[in-house]
Amino acid sequence: MGVLRLGRTTRADAAQVDVSDPLGGLLRQAGRGDQEAFAQLYDELAPMVVGVVLRVVRDPSQSEEVAQEVFVELWRLAARYDGTKGSVGSWAATMAHRRAIDRVRSEQSARNRVAREVSNLVPDHDDVVERVETTLDQGRVRRALDMLSPLQREALELAYFGGHTYREVAVLLDVAEGTVKTRIRDGMIRLRDELGGAQ
Amino acid sequence: MSSNDIDIHHLGAAYALDALDDRERMAFEAHYPSCEVCRADVLAFRATLSQVAAAQSILPSPTLKGRVMAEIAQTRQLSPLLPDRVTDLAERRRRQRTMGGFLAAAAAVVLVISGALVLRGGDPPAYAEALAEVLGQPDARVLTLDAGDSSAAGDGGAVKVAWSSTGEMAVLIADGLPEAPDGAAYELWLIADGVPQPMNVLEAAADGQLRVVLEIDDSPDSWGVTIEPVGGSAAPTGEILFLGTV
Repeated sequence: MGVLRLGRTTRADAAQVDVSDPLGGLLRQAGRGDQEAFAQLYDELAPMVVGVVLRVVRDPSQSEEVAQEVFVELWRLAARYDGTKGSVGSWAATMAHRRAIDRVRSEQSARNRVAREVSNLVPDHDDVVERVETTLDQGRVRRALDMLSPLQREALELAYFGGHTYREVAVLLDVAEGTVKTRIRDGMIRLRDELGGAQ
Repeated sequence: MSSNDIDIHHLGAAYALDALDDRERMAFEAHYPSCEVCRADVLAFRATLSQVAAAQSILPSPTLKGRVMAEIAQTRQLSPLLPDRVTDLAERRRRQRTMGGFLAAAAAVVLVISGALVLRGGDPPAYAEALAEVLGQPDARVLTLDAGDSSAAGDGGAVKVAWSSTGEMAVLIADGLPEAPDGAAYELWLIADGVPQPMNVLEAAADGQLRVVLEIDDSPDSWGVTIEPVGGSAAPTGEILFLGTV
């Protein structure tokens, strides 16, 4: 019998935080326990976090729970943020989407979910929820999406907002898994080229 | 792995979209941190998607901020250092309760070994390689064990096992495991033909994470985790905390 220590990994070095990311400073302060800085960070990130979670989860009260979990997780992990692995916004969006997906996949088997109408990636203006003024973002995203083929766009939307795995997307669209993988990959590359992948 | 090698480099987009199933996600997570091309893909796709996410922005409900701020005021933050050294047991125990496991890449593990156990590698690459090896087998399975409803103190963590019977190898992945009560330890069992075989005694690291690579001789019907006296038992005696049936 023995005690073995396994594991080692890198730390998030504060010096590596990208100085060009305005939220990096706030997150660094939050990582030292600064609740005021975290409150500012919340103000910056909450519209995006709540918006993307709602798009995936659909149910407003569940979405709020998930969004709250996301922020608590951001707080807990703030000191471990590594600026070399993406901007704060990208980190938060990744975490928000992942949590939303976890919620919908645990709520019900994805296979049982009705293949909902594929909606636009860009919210409708007459949506009941109050949209935040991000006209520029929405315009750029809409134009970028218009560059995709309809099939690429459909596959991306079913995955990102529908919360489906690509295998499920293949079943929903009745095409081969390899075909869906290709559409997703080509669509993401196109989107990256249009929107840039280095925010 | 070789037939998968070609494919795995093409999973970055689906991974960034959270569109991989558990098995592929674990395989990709084992792969991409050490693959320059895939790492760059994931970074760029995530940045792209964060713009799509930003275009979904809505006004949060006015009460959400208050709830978030109230909860974080009572939530302990994780240390900036991922555990990379042996911490003394008391300190680790003290911290276990407040630190739920999260970062899958940070496979910091303390193992107390008993019984037939092959310990392979502890640093993340070794664990990751073992996982990739398991998942690369044609008969690879991944099972999330169900937490027994009587598990202590609410959140009892999550335990998954990936294994391949032909590859004779299993990887246990646990997150958020709470501290075992004094004088007790977790023990993992492989149940084959109705007979539980002791696999090893588990002790989670400070952040409740555990990554264990095991050698298995039999094809499991189920996997279980019980609470046992320190040092483990030859057959289960304690409460079943996690159980998953194949």
